[in-house]
Amino acid sequence: MIRIEHVSKDLGEFKLDDATLHIDEGEYFIILGPTGAGKTILIETIAGIYRPDSGRVFLNGADVTNIPPKDRQISMVYQDYMLFPHLTVARNIGFGLRQKKVGRSETRAKVDEIADLLGVSHLLHRYPGTLSGGEKQRIAIARAVVTEPKVLLLDEPLSALDSRTTERLRAELARIHKLTGTTTIHVTHSFEEAFALGDRIAVMCGGRIIQVGTPDEVFRRPNSKFIADFVGVENLFRGRSVVHGDISEVRVDGISVVSSTVASGDVSVSIRPEDILISKREIETSARNSFSGEITEVKDMGGIVRAVVDVGVPFVVALTKRSYEDMELAPGTRVCIVFKASATHLF
Amino acid sequence: MLSSKFGILTVSIALLLTIFILSLIACILTHTSPHILLTSIASQEIGFAIKLSLLTSAISTLMCIAVSIPASYSLARYNFFGKTLLSTILDLPLALPPLVAGVGLLLLFGTTSFGAWLSDFGLKFVFTPLGIVIAQFAVNISFMLRIMRSTFEGISPRYENVAQTLGCTPMQAFLQTTLPMSKNGLMAGGIITWSKGIGEFGAALMVAGATRMKTETLPISLYLNMSCGDLDLAMAAAVILIIISFVSLYIFERRGGVTRLY
Repeated sequence: MIRIEHVSKDLGEFKLDDATLHIDEGEYFIILGPTGAGKTILIETIAGIYRPDSGRVFLNGADVTNIPPKDRQISMVYQDYMLFPHLTVARNIGFGLRQKKVGRSETRAKVDEIADLLGVSHLLHRYPGTLSGGEKQRIAIARAVVTEPKVLLLDEPLSALDSRTTERLRAELARIHKLTGTTTIHVTHSFEEAFALGDRIAVMCGGRIIQVGTPDEVFRRPNSKFIADFVGVENLFRGRSVVHGDISEVRVDGISVVSSTVASGDVSVSIRPEDILISKREIETSARNSFSGEITEVKDMGGIVRAVVDVGVPFVVALTKRSYEDMELAPGTRVCIVFKASATHLF
Repeated sequence: MLSSKFGILTVSIALLLTIFILSLIACILTHTSPHILLTSIASQEIGFAIKLSLLTSAISTLMCIAVSIPASYSLARYNFFGKTLLSTILDLPLALPPLVAGVGLLLLFGTTSFGAWLSDFGLKFVFTPLGIVIAQFAVNISFMLRIMRSTFEGISPRYENVAQTLGCTPMQAFLQTTLPMSKNGLMAGGIITWSKGIGEFGAALMVAGATRMKTETLPISLYLNMSCGDLDLAMAAAVILIIISFVSLYIFERRGGVTRLY
């Protein structure tokens, strides 16, 4: 679908250094990296805003390196929305259709339909200046997808929003992707977004792509210390959640994890390694989650030891070196791990 | 707040300055009577000066707008070799005395083969109303460039990026996003350029001369009538110039948004 080969671009402040990527048709692809990693240049180069200093960009097998943005059928949504302030919401959404000389009644019908899909129908006659961040971003997404692009580029689309809106819009993005099947490239610095949405993830740093893989591969087996530090989260799983009263029960690869966060359907689960207790015998506590397994790996991080306990899925547990030694733990020891439902974060 | 001597001192100076400016205007307005003023304004000579001033300043303002939009856009959006030098040279008319600019224009159009060539096409600038237009343009273009450049720099290029991905050429993207979003800057710049054009004297005097009923704009009329002692006509021209200044300053302030004039 999209292939970029050895693309480099130097803009002084930001740069892209020999980037090579293959993105499949219909994929939800995440580009993850810290600020200044060159993520935005990468997608702006895919959109055709910049011509690469070297390297080539292919779209459906055709070399589009020198094709202007207007002929690529690639839409873009920026973090700060970039809604045209002098146009009403309806004219903002219909902007691309007007450029393509789509008839007036057809434009209106398509704008109505997409506005309905994104829940912004009641805003069509207003100007962007008075809208909330969440509303603006929905409109920016509507404007980008109404032209039925081959590829949708999202540049940190959720970063400027408050956490509630972020969560709602994240679900919305997943829904739109499922509905339209449009190949989507989503740039973010949030591992949560990456993990929750991505079919595959590319991690960038200093203008280079340093790892590409499924979320599991990238989060469980980071190929460099940078990624391990940047991602910084262990015990991250995907599962299916069922709500029972005020708690959720999430099935993750054969085990069942209880959380006090109420959310149903496909969710991501994370538990901080510091929140997990380890014991050699089964103990009775008020904590809702208790599993037994075997220590498979131990990492000495100075004062802290990180032990991987395989209970069907691998959990990373952090404990002080002192406890580790006092308890006479070692790889191969059978142990119990315990953590509270309130320490189980769902998103 | 105003208890310190220093505070009182600074406010007093601001007040004195205000009184100074008000007394200048008051002197002009009280030097004549409404009756004489109206008769003078109705005179053929002042009527001609008003018309010529409005016409020349309107044309030179349109020229400034037409040239400054692409030129300032290039400075706001692109990096190219020699940009700093170019930008400094384009700012030069801001510091150059208008008389000097006028002498330069006179030499360019009056003594070079380029001037002669233009003259062959009927574009005669020396001692003609066309000279007034070019003088106003030369003196004011830097102002317009400054205002438009800061206006364009204040608008994220990402609006145009989005428009391009939605099917616009770079020029269509500019015309449909950045340009309409620059409306306030354009209005403010246009008003200040127009008002400065109406008041332009030095450069116009050098290129177009001061010929009664031929190149006689309002400031030229003020100058000619003061020289020959016809104070009534001189005051009429002065009063009209004051009114134009007030109106344009008011509109400029209302449009706001343009703070980086210098």
